[in-house]
Amino acid sequence: MKSQPLVSCVDAARTFGRGESWVVAVYSATCDVYAGDRIALVGQSGSGKSTLIHLLAGLDLPTAGTISWPALGARRDLPGRVAVVFQNPSLLDPLDVTENVALPLLIGGMDAAQASERASAALALLDLTDLAAKLPEELSGGQAQRVAAARALAGRPKLLLADEPTGQLDHISGAQVIAALIAAADEAGAGLVIATHDLAVSKRLATTWRMIDGRVALPVARPNFEVVSS
Amino acid sequence: MIRLWLRGIARRPGRLSAVTIGVALAVGLLATLGGFLSSSKATMTARSLTKVAVDWQIEVQPNSDPTTTINAIRSAATFPASEIVGYGTANALSSVTGSTTQTTGTARVLGISATYRTSFPGSLRTLVGADQGALLAQQTAANLHARVGDTITIDRPGFPPVDVRVAGVVELPTIDSLFQIVGAPDGAQPLAPPDNVVLLRLDQWHQLFDPLASTRPDLVRTQLHARLNHHLPTDPAAAYSTVAARAHNLELKLAGTALVGDNLAATLAGARTDALYAQVLFLFLGAPAAILAGLLTAMVASSGAERRRAEQALLRARGATINAIGKVAMVETALVTLTGGGLGLIVALITTRVAFGSWRLGPTTLQTVGWTAGALALGAAIAVLVIARPARRDARGLTIAGARSSRLRAGQPRWQRIWLDVALLGGAAVVFWVTSRNGYHLVLAPEGVATVSVSYWAFAGPVLAWAGGGLLTLRIVETGLRRGRRPLATAIRPVAGPLADTVSASLSRQRLLVARAAALAMLALTFAVSTAMFNATYRHQAEIDAVLTNGADVTVTQPPGSTVGPAEAARYAKIAGVSKVEPVQHRYAYVGADLQDFYGVNPKTIVSAGKLQDAYVAGGTVATLFNRLAAQPDAILVSAETVRDFQLLPGDQLTLRLQDTRTNSYTNVAFHYVGVVKEFPTAPRDSFLIANATYVAKMTGSDAVNTFLIDASGKNPRVIADRLRTALGATGTVTDITSSRTIVGSSLTAVDLAGLTRVELAYALALAVAASGLTFWLGLAERRRAFAIAAALGARSRQVGAFVWIEAGIIALAALVLGGAGGWALTHLLVKVLTGVFDPAPAALTVPIGYLAIVAAVLVGAVAVAARAGIVASQRDPLATLRSR
Repeated sequence: MKSQPLVSCVDAARTFGRGESWVVAVYSATCDVYAGDRIALVGQSGSGKSTLIHLLAGLDLPTAGTISWPALGARRDLPGRVAVVFQNPSLLDPLDVTENVALPLLIGGMDAAQASERASAALALLDLTDLAAKLPEELSGGQAQRVAAARALAGRPKLLLADEPTGQLDHISGAQVIAALIAAADEAGAGLVIATHDLAVSKRLATTWRMIDGRVALPVARPNFEVVSS
Repeated sequence: MIRLWLRGIARRPGRLSAVTIGVALAVGLLATLGGFLSSSKATMTARSLTKVAVDWQIEVQPNSDPTTTINAIRSAATFPASEIVGYGTANALSSVTGSTTQTTGTARVLGISATYRTSFPGSLRTLVGADQGALLAQQTAANLHARVGDTITIDRPGFPPVDVRVAGVVELPTIDSLFQIVGAPDGAQPLAPPDNVVLLRLDQWHQLFDPLASTRPDLVRTQLHARLNHHLPTDPAAAYSTVAARAHNLELKLAGTALVGDNLAATLAGARTDALYAQVLFLFLGAPAAILAGLLTAMVASSGAERRRAEQALLRARGATINAIGKVAMVETALVTLTGGGLGLIVALITTRVAFGSWRLGPTTLQTVGWTAGALALGAAIAVLVIARPARRDARGLTIAGARSSRLRAGQPRWQRIWLDVALLGGAAVVFWVTSRNGYHLVLAPEGVATVSVSYWAFAGPVLAWAGGGLLTLRIVETGLRRGRRPLATAIRPVAGPLADTVSASLSRQRLLVARAAALAMLALTFAVSTAMFNATYRHQAEIDAVLTNGADVTVTQPPGSTVGPAEAARYAKIAGVSKVEPVQHRYAYVGADLQDFYGVNPKTIVSAGKLQDAYVAGGTVATLFNRLAAQPDAILVSAETVRDFQLLPGDQLTLRLQDTRTNSYTNVAFHYVGVVKEFPTAPRDSFLIANATYVAKMTGSDAVNTFLIDASGKNPRVIADRLRTALGATGTVTDITSSRTIVGSSLTAVDLAGLTRVELAYALALAVAASGLTFWLGLAERRRAFAIAAALGARSRQVGAFVWIEAGIIALAALVLGGAGGWALTHLLVKVLTGVFDPAPAALTVPIGYLAIVAAVLVGAVAVAARAGIVASQRDPLATLRSR
């Protein structure tokens, strides 16, 4: 018998704007993510992948339907249990790489020394130790994205969400980041959802959800979903 | 592309609006202060014109025929009004009262026409009796014990005495200029006006003095008193030049047959010095504010520089040429200039209307246009410097990679390495030292020289202090954050918790940004503090000046020779509104060969009654010195000049010659010198003496009091003065402090600086708010992405607040401590450099606690509001911020 889902969406929708500029980013999505799930969320640019990632992370709220985190607690408890690797640069300019990686741990209330130790370990996992004392403005786009991934891993989250984490990386670095994300998720027994349009990435994950114009197609035989892989 | 760019600006108007506000502040301030300066100068000129009773006294020279010369004068120049006045000298005047005969010394007898009063209304004031006929000056009437209807005798040299019947007693408000020696320099003018003056009808004067003119021409003079056309330039210096040139022109035409006693030019000469001081004040107090507004605008603009560079780099990458980017920047500059300039001018007009009661930025249309153009030019210059120039420079010199170069690892700037800040402050200290020495004059108006000049190098002091203070603040905050990372983390741990090290590291790397914001806020506070303290000190000294000039709220002065005793005080005390009356003996005493003003006082009551201050004495407090006076009956306080001239040491005996009323002759009276006095109500500035009234009365046989200082206790002094005048009639002169404030002349104290003060303080407040709150808020807005990331990582409002509040605290603390200290130091420097503005010079600065508390509260409040707004914004849809780039 399966345990409680980490996150559960029921008819969750997210729209932006009003009147003529009204846009539906996600149509009534119903889906669950369990611990141990390895999900690739694929779709074209603008299909709503990022919005769904934000909804699953609790960073955004649905305008219709509900999202809950049965195995993780209330939305306010999510920091530290859910981690997100953002698509855009997301490092804080005045903090060095170690401080950036340790930041969510400190926000969660961890002792500074322990947070620093965990940050160093996460950097080592992604082979970033040499960059530990660098400032974000001294990193390339790819390096910054790998540091962002290290930051997500450092907290050992139960649910790991990544929004196009390899978009700015070369093939080898991208593969290294995906491997690290999968390894970290495996080690923590976490659920992993990666939004990507990179076929190589999606092939490394067990399940693929396809998004087309805001609609989520799950791999389970349900009336409104198309099974694309298993 | 320009249209697209403008559309982008319209969608994100915050920063451009802030830049526009900065330009508006600078334009508004310059236009308002400029308008005030022009209006002040016009007021000074107008006051000079109204103050002078007779503009020119043109005297017919000896050996010239009066009638011919007067005709020549009238044909050479056109006057709105002119009257012939005869001046004769008599041996004496005498009158008989009962069984006694009073005889005066040499007397001056003037002949004036029936229309003289109408032509020159300020020259005569009837105290009692008729306006025409034989009129006695007030003091002469007192000397002769003569009343209206009495007969006095005029004793002419070589001719039989003539009796005239007194028709009235008059006051001669401009007696000094009336009896000037025409053509003589200031130093050769009489020290005091004549004691005995009679005015006769001109025809009667001719009958009495035409015969004397043929035998003793040296005793008879003829003058033409003239009023000039007052359509003069509004600037006192220009008006002075015009009037003086007209006088010289007339003298040239008259070929030595007459000389012009130019009363109007003499008064305007004083006003032009004051006008120059007003100009200096404008520069010292107004220029820093305009520069501060410019700096503020530059900082606002530069806080968005990174975004602009990125956008420009994007435009370049998509094919935009440098010229195209330059055009876009010029359009933006023009937009800011027009909007900010227009807004600033509207603010200036409203301010001018509210503060000075006029819709114009100067007394004339030309000046209004001039100041408008000048202020707009300043606005345009600021806009070019902060928008167009950086945009063009970046477009030419920066690559995309260059735009990304590190600002957070910036090393110590060159100016810090060479200690430029300390050098600048050292320079300011040198100027302070030089201006503290004797012989320094900011405004030089040498006697007999047509132009006045300003030693503009003195401006270097405040300029160096401003620049040095700003840089020192940068150094202190920057060095503190660079070297004090660990102590800071320890200090903020109670607020920031586990994030303390992170917040400290973040602040340390952003130290240049924080230091810049702190320096700007410090400069704004320095401006507010120095302006407020300078204005408060100025106002305080102006009040002291008025008190010293008038003596008290209301002062009653008895004519010389009066025998009114101190008991008369009880009579004045009964008049409604009078709360206290202090009698003061005013006599003259010979110190060696010098005749000095001598005051007999009650040392136990004069300190409070005369509102005496410690600055009025030297070598102790005023209480100490007057206690010494009270403790020793024959003690005397003397001026520093007398101590120096006569080499006096405390305790030395000083023998003065005072008039003994019992023998009517001067007699030696011994005193002992106990201290130095510098100022005393109604006393002249140079040299005077103060002793115990009871001792003086005993030694001279008279307790006659000449001056009564009356305390109105907050009631309207003018009303009480009117009541006293009614009660006293012609037996005493009554003056009040309200009139005295304006009678001080065209001097700065008479110019209404209250409006200027209000304007400056309001702008100082606005600058403090903008320099602290606005720039801090814009800095936070520029980092909203960082806060959004923190929020997306789970940071709660309190945790984001740790970053924001600690930065806010550093900026506010630096501004308050360094700005307060800077303001205090700068005020000292300004007061030293502008010593000439103060009369008397202040012994200590006046601190307007209320205003400074408001400024501090507003500054802290503005920073707090900005911090709160930044924190709230960080929590509002952080994803939208993250998506925005």
